[in-house]
Amino acid sequence: MSGEAVLSVEDLAVRYGPQTVLEGVSFQVPRGSVFALLGRNGSGKSSLVRCALGLQKPARGGVRLFGEDAWASRRRAMGRVGVVPEHPDAPPELTAGELLAFCAPFYPAWNDTSARDRLERYSVPPRVPFGRLSKGQKGAVMLALALAASPELLVLDDPTLGLDAVARRALYDELIGELADRGTTALVTTHDLDGIEPIADRVAVLRGAHLVANETLDALKARFRRIRCGPAAAPFSWEPFEPITAAEKDWGREAIVGNFTEERLGAFRARTVSDNVEVVALSLEEIFLSLAGTAGGLS
Amino acid sequence: MLRIDPRDAVPIWKQIEEGLRRLVGSGSLRPGRPVPSVRDLARELRVNPMTVSKAYQRLADGGVLVVRRGEGTFVAEGPPQLTRAERAKTMREGASRYVSLAATLGVSKDEAAREVAAAWDGPRRGRGEES
Repeated sequence: MSGEAVLSVEDLAVRYGPQTVLEGVSFQVPRGSVFALLGRNGSGKSSLVRCALGLQKPARGGVRLFGEDAWASRRRAMGRVGVVPEHPDAPPELTAGELLAFCAPFYPAWNDTSARDRLERYSVPPRVPFGRLSKGQKGAVMLALALAASPELLVLDDPTLGLDAVARRALYDELIGELADRGTTALVTTHDLDGIEPIADRVAVLRGAHLVANETLDALKARFRRIRCGPAAAPFSWEPFEPITAAEKDWGREAIVGNFTEERLGAFRARTVSDNVEVVALSLEEIFLSLAGTAGGLS
Repeated sequence: MLRIDPRDAVPIWKQIEEGLRRLVGSGSLRPGRPVPSVRDLARELRVNPMTVSKAYQRLADGGVLVVRRGEGTFVAEGPPQLTRAERAKTMREGASRYVSLAATLGVSKDEAAREVAAAWDGPRRGRGEES
């Protein structure tokens, strides 16, 4: 089942003038997976998505989409990809229905009935021009267009940005339905980590132009823990854990470790003088913060 | 009701598997009754359908659920019976996992025993976790 990659990013580098946005980034999106690509604003997510869709030529390396070079074969590959862009963009004077009719000829596997059903389900007014729709409605039109193409790969670029709670829930419902019905592969960039956590099965994290994590969500969650430890006699060490962050508090010490196993915990407890050791699992958001948010502050 | 916590260290497929096992074991889900389709349960729990599918597959392999082609998935008519030795072994392993969890959290033997008693009477009752 694994093995075949829908999307394969190989040693990708992107530069804008002297600025390096991505450097040596490699990962694969296996068929049928829901791949969450995470990173702070400006971490290169959008450049990576543009390269993946063949909209941008990388400085080095490349992206293989369905086994072909994404840049060289972008016209052919695009018929098999559904995209919900970060900023919904369509001719403002066309209504949703006119947009469907406009897009249909470009896609071999276009499903017009399901697209019209979706627009109705999303309560998109059929006769209002795109330019006068709300942010949520524009996103809904984009999703209907993307899914109408019966895509093998669905690319959602920050799909919940600017959506209210109801629209966000509807979007996840739609995504889950699509996954269940068609087993579509999905590449999702998002800042809504709580929303994507129960849906994603693979996670990659970009930081400072590099990939700092790339694995299954289960594996990522298994190796991250917050460990708290009461006052202990010096000399103290977190070994065999490798803390990603560590701090001394009034009540003792605290660390987030990225190499947790029960065996290491056993070894740590056997060595630590304190008998007051607490271990807590982390949410994807907390893991992301420890990987991507330890430096920089606001930006 | 089946409840899952995505933030828990236990993978979601395992939470679903164990949750359904408990519902079947306690008689809340009776033999022969249908369980929700993968699609419906995934949407209800707001999780990846593959995750539900994996839990169902494991439960079917374990004889807890049966899949009837074109009809759906059902609780098995004769839920698997463990031998006395198998049952004792499973209980010992579960207890050992629970004790090491309790020790990890610095929980006393008495407190751990009280949690077992409370869980027996009704999972999650009175712990302020309703949402």
